[in-house]
Amino acid sequence: MIQRFQFKRVLPSLIVVVIILGLGLASYRFMGQESFVRTALSGLTLGALYFMVAAGLTIIFGLMDVLNFAHGAMFMTGAYMGWQFYANPTFLFGILPLALAFVTGLATTSLWLPVVIKWQVPESWTKRINTTLIIVGLALVVVGFQKFDVLGLAETALVPVMHAGNPLAEASPQETLAVFWSRPVLLFLSGLLFAIAAARPGDKSQHVTNAKPTGAWIRVAGLVVVTAASVLLREPASIAVLKMNADIRFFLALIVGTGIGAGLGVLIEISLIRPLYARPFYIVLMTLGLGYVLRETVQLLWDPVAYAMERPPLFSQAGEAENIAAWFTGHNLTIDIVGVTFPSYRLFIIVLGGVMLLGLFLLMRYSRLGMIIRAGVQDRNMVEALGINVKAVFSVVFAIGVGLAALGGIGAAPFVPVQPNMGDVYQLQGFITVVIGGMGSYLGAGVGALLLGMARAFGDFLALKFSLSPAIAEASTVIVMIIVLLVRPAGLLGKKDE
Amino acid sequence: MEPILTLESIHTFIGQFHILEGVSITVPRDKITVLLGRNGAGKTTTLKSILGLTPPRLGKVVFDGMEVQGKRAYDIANFGIGYVPEHRAVFRNLSVMENLKIAEKKRGDLERKSDFIFSLFPDLKRLYKLPGNHLSGGQQQMLAVARALVADNKLLLIDEPSEGLAPILIEQMMVAIRELSKTTTILLVEQNFIMASQLGDFFYIIDDGKTVENGKMMDLVNNADLIKRYLGVSIGKVGGVQ
Ligand SMILES: Nc1ncnc2c1ncn2[C@@H]1O[C@H](COP(=O)(O)OP(=O)(O)OP(=O)(O)O)[C@@H](O)[C@H]1O
Ligand SMILES: [Mg+2]
Repeated sequence: MIQRFQFKRVLPSLIVVVIILGLGLASYRFMGQESFVRTALSGLTLGALYFMVAAGLTIIFGLMDVLNFAHGAMFMTGAYMGWQFYANPTFLFGILPLALAFVTGLATTSLWLPVVIKWQVPESWTKRINTTLIIVGLALVVVGFQKFDVLGLAETALVPVMHAGNPLAEASPQETLAVFWSRPVLLFLSGLLFAIAAARPGDKSQHVTNAKPTGAWIRVAGLVVVTAASVLLREPASIAVLKMNADIRFFLALIVGTGIGAGLGVLIEISLIRPLYARPFYIVLMTLGLGYVLRETVQLLWDPVAYAMERPPLFSQAGEAENIAAWFTGHNLTIDIVGVTFPSYRLFIIVLGGVMLLGLFLLMRYSRLGMIIRAGVQDRNMVEALGINVKAVFSVVFAIGVGLAALGGIGAAPFVPVQPNMGDVYQLQGFITVVIGGMGSYLGAGVGALLLGMARAFGDFLALKFSLSPAIAEASTVIVMIIVLLVRPAGLLGKKDE
Repeated sequence: MEPILTLESIHTFIGQFHILEGVSITVPRDKITVLLGRNGAGKTTTLKSILGLTPPRLGKVVFDGMEVQGKRAYDIANFGIGYVPEHRAVFRNLSVMENLKIAEKKRGDLERKSDFIFSLFPDLKRLYKLPGNHLSGGQQQMLAVARALVADNKLLLIDEPSEGLAPILIEQMMVAIRELSKTTTILLVEQNFIMASQLGDFFYIIDDGKTVENGKMMDLVNNADLIKRYLGVSIGKVGGVQ
């Protein structure tokens, strides 16, 4: 609820703001209004992008002590997903039934629990049974994907001509139902096997709630219906999306990409990170490796080339809006901001960053989840002792973090080239942001991102003006980090190791 | 009536260290059972073993007729155990209200219990919106106890509630615990022998990770030898107990 104003806590940020204002004023006199405003706006845009990456990194680290070195790759994956959805969702709708079928199988886990717990499994067999289940499950996945033309699906987004009547007429590699149906069935079976393994046959320590599993049954039934629909609607759904108003499609793409990111996050947390909590160093190695896997997968699907995602019509009408208000009616490509011509889409990125910060703030301050996260950062065991499943909270937090990265990726996609390593530079700056802001503090990440964005933009300006090597501009963020760490080793708002 | 909690010779390891080497305790319903022992004897570890925070490797923990050893800590807590950890571990980043709210196990728990909680600890009402790190040590201790009262718990594990409290606050804490014991069972760890002896119905002594003595508190008060041997409390001090 309402916290009392804590002067000591905000003092470092206040000092930073004063310094920035001072530097700002000085550079304003030195640079002149035009270049100053332009550079400051660029800085804001960069800061917003840095924040999108840093926000997820910092909340994940704050609660879970996990350094996610795949965060940049997840940013990139989000960009690709959003771009696919916007350009031609055939690929996504082709994959969706398979993913859904697998998840449906997995969702039966809680239904297996009461069954599995009655099985008499000798201790020596518990491990073997689980291994067998998982191996067979993986084999089913492989069989399910046999001769599946993923590359063909992936290429559809590159087909330039779309006909108004049937946008997919030029390229539609979706298999016919007669061929396709066995795939979701196999993936569903595979999911079932994983579900049984997850119910851990032979583990007697588990607690079976007496509550009737109606909820779980309804969930599974709902998923079966959705999966069946997704199998039948692969083409119609793609066509419907393509016929949609492009602006709405763009905002849907933001939501869809974020959702895919969050889903990926849950999957990764449960399957890859959870077994490694006892060995933090392995988590670092694992996420590093995962980053490579994601990049290579994307490269395999869409080749190692850069794509430009079209800007939605909302930000691409010819001409320049006289001011921000005029843009609301004109939807122009650029806006005149106190005499500076600035792309309207960049302003959107700044707004998106601000919205994310506000959303995070509301979530952390006013929701039960936020309360649990703040408490868990301090003392996980005590949270657990209050009857809260902290592991489940970890999954949710990881999902939120990856979802934010993916959202940042899609937001960036119409503005930076979409390519497999597009996330790397943002991951690096994201980590610097987190260190500056204080590990675990999302507000610190906000301040840090602003600081870094400005440092980079003004560094670029100076390098250009005095024809210095661009390396100096690139080093500017690191210089800022060193200064901050010398003054405050825990970062601006850091308190983890107070 | 069957006891609410039984520990049958539990052994707990922390890393390599064999910390509990056979702790057996029976906690009868609706009474206050006090766990005594020197510093480092294993009292806190015993409470944590019950909750599954440091799961016992051997032995049984039977809570309310159900074996809970090896189950997840949050499951065990949800069976109806409230925990007041030592060193007043309130959440510093959460307001007093949030510190209580987070302990809800059902929707509306806090609303139902707030009058009761404020009647025990009136100060908390005034401090309701302050962050946890603005509270004094005594206030934090009150909050830590209050937090365990929000949900309907059948058993409270309270670890050294008097630690570092001024005498007047110890008095208030004792009144509160006595009041609580009218509605729930309490397993209390307490170093302050005066407080322990006045509150407790039964006692257990843990020494070097093993339960060594137990019985009625009244008998212990009169057994100066036992007190001196395991608790290192001089007889003169015990004489202060009326
Ligand atoms: N994380 C740990 N690693 C190693 N040893 C530990 C750990 N936690 C506790 N111990 C040891 O276990 C023993 C019992 O500790 P415990 O905290 O249960 O004692 P206690 O009876 O509660 O003591 P006190 O009265 O000081 O609170 C002590 O010897 C302590 O050093
Ligand atoms: Mg202790």
